[in-house]
Amino acid sequence: MSNKVAIIASNGGLFDAYKVFNIATAAAATEKEVAIFFTFEGLNLIHKQAMQQLPMPEGREHFAEGFKKANVPSIPELVEMAQELGVKFIGCQMTMDVMGLTKEDFIDGIEVGGAVTFLEFAKDASPSLTF
Amino acid sequence: MQIKADQQLDCKGLACPMPIVKTKKAMNEVEDGQILEVQATDKGSIADLKAWSESVGHQYLGTIQEDGVLLHYIRKSSHDTGEEKTFEKTITNDEVIDRVSKGGIILDVREEAEYAFGHIEGSKSIPMGELENRLDELNKDQEIYVICRTGTRSDLAARKLSDKGFTKVYNVLPGMASWQGKISRING
Repeated sequence: MSNKVAIIASNGGLFDAYKVFNIATAAAATEKEVAIFFTFEGLNLIHKQAMQQLPMPEGREHFAEGFKKANVPSIPELVEMAQELGVKFIGCQMTMDVMGLTKEDFIDGIEVGGAVTFLEFAKDASPSLTF
Repeated sequence: MQIKADQQLDCKGLACPMPIVKTKKAMNEVEDGQILEVQATDKGSIADLKAWSESVGHQYLGTIQEDGVLLHYIRKSSHDTGEEKTFEKTITNDEVIDRVSKGGIILDVREEAEYAFGHIEGSKSIPMGELENRLDELNKDQEIYVICRTGTRSDLAARKLSDKGFTKVYNVLPGMASWQGKISRING
């Protein structure tokens, strides 16, 4: 059985962030080796400013109350937890170039790499997930 | 009924994946073979902690509900299956019920929480760690059939009893992990 979980985060909304980080922290807590490749809008999830206020899908803003009521951790909290558990964050170099961003725009402790960096990790991962 | 645990973890009010993440961290402080009680209100934690325990290799014992709080009991994996068993007098799971009907008792030396979530009806519970101080609860004239999960702790217990002058002691193998007969448990 593979001990790796590979995740591609390619969307930048609040719901996307929860899907990515919940699965990632749960997998890491289950002693899996986890890497997340952040590409295109997925980069928002680890962008210093953007990650603080990720948007809800249009028309779904009323879920904010539900998040509060269920005592769901905030995205920055989940990110910190994921890093503490050893989840590897890989930012997509090509997207960063396109958007004019540098490593300094993102939280500490990320790697920057291209598609091959992720593929190398994911080649023997199971499952591989895309959000 | 209160179930004894070596450590407790409060995850009340926390949503997924927090109970799992906190349990993983807490488990680092628990010694092999000890019991962790996880208190949670997240209903998903029942299935999640069971799956987590199986995946990581710990022993999920069971869950009870008390005043709307779920109490999960997990025993930290201990590598107690591979060791050699040296106590000579043994009998099998299949024989023990028949033997005990003719006299004697079944002594279950697993932790209290393990016993609570499944034991042979009529068996007596004295966890291995307490045996030395509770010898006066046992009768030297009676046959004592010692059982645990895999036969390792009961081997140790049988040797200890034998050292203390108990002569009619038997280790029951392979133990509760492969018990096919009826079991009694705390929540039906």
